[in-house]
Amino acid sequence: MKIWKFAFIASAALSTSIMAAAVVNPVFQQRQDNFKGLGKAMKGVMDEFKKPAPDMAVIKANANVLAASASKVARQFPKGTGPEAGVKADALPAIWEKPADFKLAASRLVAATRDFKSASATGDIAKVRVAMGAVGQACKGCHDNFRKPRS
Amino acid sequence: MTIEEQTRTVILWDLPVRLVHWAFVGLMPALWWTARNGKLDLHEKIGMTMLGLVVFRLLWGVVGSSTARFASFVRGPAAVMAYLRGMRSSDSVPIVGHNPLGGLSVIALLGLLGAQVTLGLFAQDTDGIFSGPLNHLVSWDTASTMSAAHGLVFNLILLFVVVHIAAIAFYRIAKRDNLVGPMVSGRKRFAESIVAPRIAPLWRALVIAAIASTIAVWLAWGAPPWGSPFPWDKPADVVDEQSYM
Repeated sequence: MKIWKFAFIASAALSTSIMAAAVVNPVFQQRQDNFKGLGKAMKGVMDEFKKPAPDMAVIKANANVLAASASKVARQFPKGTGPEAGVKADALPAIWEKPADFKLAASRLVAATRDFKSASATGDIAKVRVAMGAVGQACKGCHDNFRKPRS
Repeated sequence: MTIEEQTRTVILWDLPVRLVHWAFVGLMPALWWTARNGKLDLHEKIGMTMLGLVVFRLLWGVVGSSTARFASFVRGPAAVMAYLRGMRSSDSVPIVGHNPLGGLSVIALLGLLGAQVTLGLFAQDTDGIFSGPLNHLVSWDTASTMSAAHGLVFNLILLFVVVHIAAIAFYRIAKRDNLVGPMVSGRKRFAESIVAPRIAPLWRALVIAAIASTIAVWLAWGAPPWGSPFPWDKPADVVDEQSYM
């Protein structure tokens, strides 16, 4: 009895570790890191807006990060990296079911962050704030349809 | 003289202590529910109310009625041990106010609530989109750590609330001492003559309440003028925090 129990546990442990090692596509980590970078940069900008004297240099630096990260989004969701992969993620199947809509939403983010970058280059805080509004809307555009609602 | 004539009814807990206590009881589930259901704007408002109440209670612990003051009930480990040893004998001297162990429990609960509202000031959600009023003064990583701690401290509060309620049940059943009644009515009847607590005047509570709410509102504004501009100097928000989640 004991030996069977041991064999069962050992084989279960072994197969679990093999499955875990069975190469998780690095794109999961890459895209999550990319979104975290977008989040950090968004916070970086919003924090300056909330301060008594916004630092334009900080806003510019974050604008560069936003534009660079936004351009990566569209190609970070290849086929086979949806819920069927069994990796814990908030990406909804809609990304792969409606690829054209997803591409469009991602391209809106690219455009909005590009506009934001050029607005921050002017150094005009009023323009920067308006451009940030569009970036926020682009974030929302994707989150509403392609990401699990937050609990 | 009959026993009845010897009993003395005194005001044990003043009105501010009771109001603050029951406000804690009401606000905790509301804070849990709003956090759980993503109603973070409401969570922040209730949380800042909680912060005001905690500040009030801390100040009241210095200038309030005698039974509300930390100096009257915060005791060392020796006093706590002596109290625990004396617990079995029935002829112990009546304690007017918190006993040494109960005093520790007050410190633990108030300390946890204080830590919790402080962490909440800096916390943020997973996207850093909705955040506490001082979140913009710390980095993403600091805020993430504080958010995680905000969740952890909540569990500690839950644990101490369970201990608190269990202790109340223990006193009710094993010691035939009703602790809830006096916390509602403020009054407690003692079997023997005791020195009645000194009850602080209501105007003093109002002054302390004004100070505590000023601190809470100031923090909710983001600590102007250093942390944020005053609300009336602020440009209109281009990005509503809820608008792009």
